[in-house]
Amino acid sequence: MTPAILALNLGLSFAALVALCLSLNRHHAEIFGTKPSGRRVVLLRVLGWGGLVLCLLVAGEAEGWGFGPVQWVGAVSGAGAGLVLLLSYRPRLVAPAGVAAVGLAMTAGLLLHVA
Amino acid sequence: MKGRFRTSMAWLHVWSGLVVGWVLFAIFVTGTASYYRADITRWMRPELAQAPPVAAADLPKVAERAVAYLERHASKAKTWFIGMPQPERPLLDLFWRTRPGAPPGHVLLDPRTGAEAMVRDTEGGDFLHRFHYELHIPPLWGRWIVGICAMIMLVALISGIVTHKRIFADFFTFRRDKAARRSFLDAHNVTGVLALPFHLMITYTGVVALATFYMPWGVTTAYKGDTRAFFREANWITAPRPPIGRTAPLAPLGPMIEEALATVPERLERLTVTNFGDAGATVVAMFEEPHGLAHTPTHIAFDGASGALLEIRGGDLKPAAKTISTLIGLHVAHFAEPGLRLLFFLCGVMGSAMVATGLVLWSLARLPKLDVTPSFGLRLVQALNVGSIIGLPAAVAVYFLANRLLPLGLADRGEWEIRAFFAAWIVAALIPLARPHRRAWNEMSMLVSGLCLAVVAADLAMIEAHPLRRLGEGEALFLWFDGAMLALAALFAFAARRIAQYRGPSRTDRWHEPVLAAPAERARA
Repeated sequence: MTPAILALNLGLSFAALVALCLSLNRHHAEIFGTKPSGRRVVLLRVLGWGGLVLCLLVAGEAEGWGFGPVQWVGAVSGAGAGLVLLLSYRPRLVAPAGVAAVGLAMTAGLLLHVA
Repeated sequence: MKGRFRTSMAWLHVWSGLVVGWVLFAIFVTGTASYYRADITRWMRPELAQAPPVAAADLPKVAERAVAYLERHASKAKTWFIGMPQPERPLLDLFWRTRPGAPPGHVLLDPRTGAEAMVRDTEGGDFLHRFHYELHIPPLWGRWIVGICAMIMLVALISGIVTHKRIFADFFTFRRDKAARRSFLDAHNVTGVLALPFHLMITYTGVVALATFYMPWGVTTAYKGDTRAFFREANWITAPRPPIGRTAPLAPLGPMIEEALATVPERLERLTVTNFGDAGATVVAMFEEPHGLAHTPTHIAFDGASGALLEIRGGDLKPAAKTISTLIGLHVAHFAEPGLRLLFFLCGVMGSAMVATGLVLWSLARLPKLDVTPSFGLRLVQALNVGSIIGLPAAVAVYFLANRLLPLGLADRGEWEIRAFFAAWIVAALIPLARPHRRAWNEMSMLVSGLCLAVVAADLAMIEAHPLRRLGEGEALFLWFDGAMLALAALFAFAARRIAQYRGPSRTDRWHEPVLAAPAERARA
């Protein structure tokens, strides 16, 4: 069970961090060439913070409220390190990677649901 | 007022970080490696890779073999410690102390025969683990130095958070193509901020783990100096039993172990036998902790003379003891499955990188103008930086290399491995004194890269059971370990190339204000 939950956590937190990252003017401009509009900033931040909270809830529910937060913090740190490196070396891949991370999270979630 | 507060915090951050930085780096690196301590030990004892694990049903017999050996060789010892065979070390690990001052006895036995095991003498990952909190100097000094460094680290962390004004805005920012000081500041901030919960947790729990060692006075006063009474009342150990003074033989251990194994589902880790030969002899079986955050192993005590069960301890801790057990549990992360363990390891690597970039940043921020000779302080910091940040990885690689290359029959072989570690570190720390600074970084990185490759080569050459020599058959651990070494070699080669390509600090850039300058200046940049 645990590897699937970890994949779910990593995918979800990576996607959430991508949303938060794109809500910042500098990184949005790096990737899309323009500053984000006000509405887009709000949307991205809601998605990002919502994703992080959802990730914590999933981790807590799946692993118990002792291990859950530990796993959540680890997943967010790990996903953040990956995102920073990707943003620095291959910025154009950040948005597709965010979408792929959502896909990974959903696959892992589905696996857990089936199992 | 606010501006001044932040300036003083910046000052505190810079200097608290610098004074303990080099030791902290060593603590972080060896601590991070300790997450894989059992695997490192197993790699360093390749003879055991093929040994089948010991079945739980055989443990009572195995324990009796250990006692038979100790009766013959250590009947005068006050306490015997019997490490039971574990998956990562399928051997009996016997340890005994005869009297204070005398060197303790230590031997590894084959659990199937009870004879001394034919395995190379090495400290394995335990050396790196002990170095992490004792620095391989007398424990009293080592623990105090590590503790003081950890306390100052907490100061540096908190003052760093206060100083870092743009935590959210710069959360993902790593501009590696900008001037060196900007890139290093970004790397320092990113590694610090992304793993900040880990850094705070690991530093705080590190101090707490030895809290009763640093501040024994509460226990000394409340328990009249009897720390064992304190540990007993906290439910960490079973009741200590003094010798009675009447001789009595030790009852067979087999039935006791059977009873203990039937009571506790976890794995049996260790036995201690105190006061052998006395009617007050005690046998305590210690089990692995149940899966949970807290570090709460179960202990079962038996009367050594009669074999009767005396008490079962563990699990039911009171709130304060439970709290500290949880904090220690978080620090050592025994509970972590491979995936989570990798994340802990990654956070440890980020912590090491944070300390290293912070140290380099100090020297980058104080580079003099072209025509001025660098001050002695700057030269010293620069040399110590190379000596620790590159010297320690070089020393660890040499430690692994020595494990493979030293002759198997060498007396004190384990000790020689450690001597090789320190000799390599000293040499690696002296070379930068004789080389131009940037050349030293470049050459030493290449050296570490070469040493990591040499470890892989030596592993392949010396281990006949290596999976690559047997078309994939055999212990996968060798592949994992060599893969990690190749990754490290690539990392250091990459670093060396970047250092060589780097055109050097241009004297006309605008990075002449101190790194932690006033906010207005930084905003302009």
